[in-house]
Amino acid sequence: MNNNKQQRRSSRFSFSRTYMVARRILQQIRRDRRTLGMMLMMPTIIMLIFGFSLSGEVKNIPILVDNQDTGYTAHPAPNVEISITAGSKIAAALQNDSRVKYNTGSFDKNRASVDNGTYFAVIKIPANFSETIFQRQRGQNKTAEIQIYIDATKPAIRASIQGALQSALQSIQGGSAFKFNEELAFGGAQYTGLDVGIPSVIGFVLTFLVLLISLITITRETISGTLQRLYATPLTALERLVGYAVALLLLSMMLAGVILGIGILVFGAAVKGNLAVLIFAAVLYALTHVLIAVFLSNFAKNELQAVQMAPLIALPSLALSGMLVPVNSLPEFVQPIARLVPLYYGNRVFEGIMLKGYGLLELAPEFLVIGVIAFLSLILALATVKDRINA
Amino acid sequence: MSQAAEWAVEALDLVKVYKEGNILAVDRLNLKIGRGEIYALIGANGSGKTTCINILTGILAPTTGVVKVLGMEMPRDRKTISKYVGVAPQEYSVYHDLTVEQNVRFFGRLYGMSNNELERRMEELLQILRLDERRRSVVANLSGGMRRRVSIACALIHNPQLVFFDEATVGIDPVLRAFFWEYFRSLKKQGLTIILTSHVMDEAEKADRIGLIRAGKLIEEGTPKQLKHKHGADTIEEVFIKLSEGKIVDE
Ligand SMILES: Nc1ncnc2c1ncn2[C@@H]1O[C@H](COP(=O)(O)OP(=O)(O)O)[C@@H](O)[C@H]1O
Ligand SMILES: [Mg+2]
Repeated sequence: MNNNKQQRRSSRFSFSRTYMVARRILQQIRRDRRTLGMMLMMPTIIMLIFGFSLSGEVKNIPILVDNQDTGYTAHPAPNVEISITAGSKIAAALQNDSRVKYNTGSFDKNRASVDNGTYFAVIKIPANFSETIFQRQRGQNKTAEIQIYIDATKPAIRASIQGALQSALQSIQGGSAFKFNEELAFGGAQYTGLDVGIPSVIGFVLTFLVLLISLITITRETISGTLQRLYATPLTALERLVGYAVALLLLSMMLAGVILGIGILVFGAAVKGNLAVLIFAAVLYALTHVLIAVFLSNFAKNELQAVQMAPLIALPSLALSGMLVPVNSLPEFVQPIARLVPLYYGNRVFEGIMLKGYGLLELAPEFLVIGVIAFLSLILALATVKDRINA
Repeated sequence: MSQAAEWAVEALDLVKVYKEGNILAVDRLNLKIGRGEIYALIGANGSGKTTCINILTGILAPTTGVVKVLGMEMPRDRKTISKYVGVAPQEYSVYHDLTVEQNVRFFGRLYGMSNNELERRMEELLQILRLDERRRSVVANLSGGMRRRVSIACALIHNPQLVFFDEATVGIDPVLRAFFWEYFRSLKKQGLTIILTSHVMDEAEKADRIGLIRAGKLIEEGTPKQLKHKHGADTIEEVFIKLSEGKIVDE
């Protein structure tokens, strides 16, 4: 009786069986024109739609104002007192402007907050601001300066901040010549609406299409009756899941290639950072969604349910990810939920690499979160996968 | 693997209650099927045949009862047992968007067959099952009878010791059915145990032994000759009608 030995041998992970599952899925996809067409057409169409429509005014953009203005009081004649508090007026106007979310703090200490995305601009009103305005009103050739350190990688956001500042300056009487000392963050990076749109579109299209294709592919097995047949073979649930994941990862890489190719070659999207890092990010992000789909497929009873699941996840992700509206501009109670959406980190990664020129080091926290989501999905998939009929 | 086990399949007091609808699909069923036997489980639609097969192949857990297959315990040893067992489920259950060859190879490789062994065996099966001319056809383009043969090829590719054919011979033309039975006999000669199900009574006449199943209960068992003799009937169908005492049992 060498029962036990065989028991052990058969339950050991088999790369050959796993490979067969992956190969079989790719063979099936090759014959499936509809899915193949979808993989090429959908990213093109979605990229076009989103690429051109990402503009418009934004609200609640977090900014920081460092009002150092001491105010100015002059006595041009006996019993005449002129008091100017221009800095406070600007601050008050900004506070009441719905386009920006007003915070106070030190300009010098918070420049880094623009670099890490906490604020989109930090603004300094200098100590002699009111005095300069007074002197100018007296005919002296002086210009009141405001210092701004601003993230110009998003034109719509930059325009909103500038608009809010302009309105605020109107509130000072004789709103004469001011100078914005604008300093652009991220090495002066400025982009067109298209440049800015593309990274988030890449994240969204990857999310949506990888989920869709993965869910359809895996669910198809359940419907065809072959899954029950596989239960009765030596193939283990782990081998089956890994087989699915390998095949779908290869398909997703193709998908990512199409998306990046269209973005960069057709639309000429900017890639400030390293292309290799960008490709790595796309692959990691795709893998995460393959694993999420492997997990979710446990709950889809048919192909229709599977198809419905993809937009059910992708569309709320879109709204919460900061792609349409910065997460900071979302209602307070929604913001923690947004932090749970993979696309939020996907956007930060793709934007970071393409617009801000970040590398692996700067994006380590985001990569880590995406990796953790991938790992959790795998664990959840393994915990919920069925290896026989549950009835 | 225990060569010493005298039974290919042993089932003791099997009960299956489906959670959905609380349906009693198998009711205290006992089976002993010897090695090299062709055993036919015969019963109307919904009598519990597929449920039985699913329990015996380890893909469905019985509510209570003990199952031993090839001397090993189900479901504990199911992945080991699966190496020596082939199944052709009631539905065709092959990949419709793959070719005949791709399907057969896929299943062969799941059983860890080497390339040489697999190609040799596939060649043999495709010849016997008259599929060799359509080997590169996509299954979706094949007739129902051919799909069933592809499914049987996938069940036999790894030279199993025991095969289950769930309604494999139902709804196919008489010539093909006669051919299947001839083939089953030749498999039996090679020492294979075959367990098949059918809701067509005259199918049973050709089996070594028959189990008549009704509402999940095994109501009669024996060789076709024994059963007909015992009930004074000319056909198994008559036996079944006598046992049913005129009750309508379908569905
Ligand atoms: N997954 C399931 N859940 C609930 N009831 C089921 C399930 N599968 C089969 N049944 C029921 O169990 C009974 C036996 O079914 P089945 O084993 O398929 O019979 P047969 O193969 O003889 O036609 C039927 O009443 C059927 O409706
Ligand atoms: Mg059945």
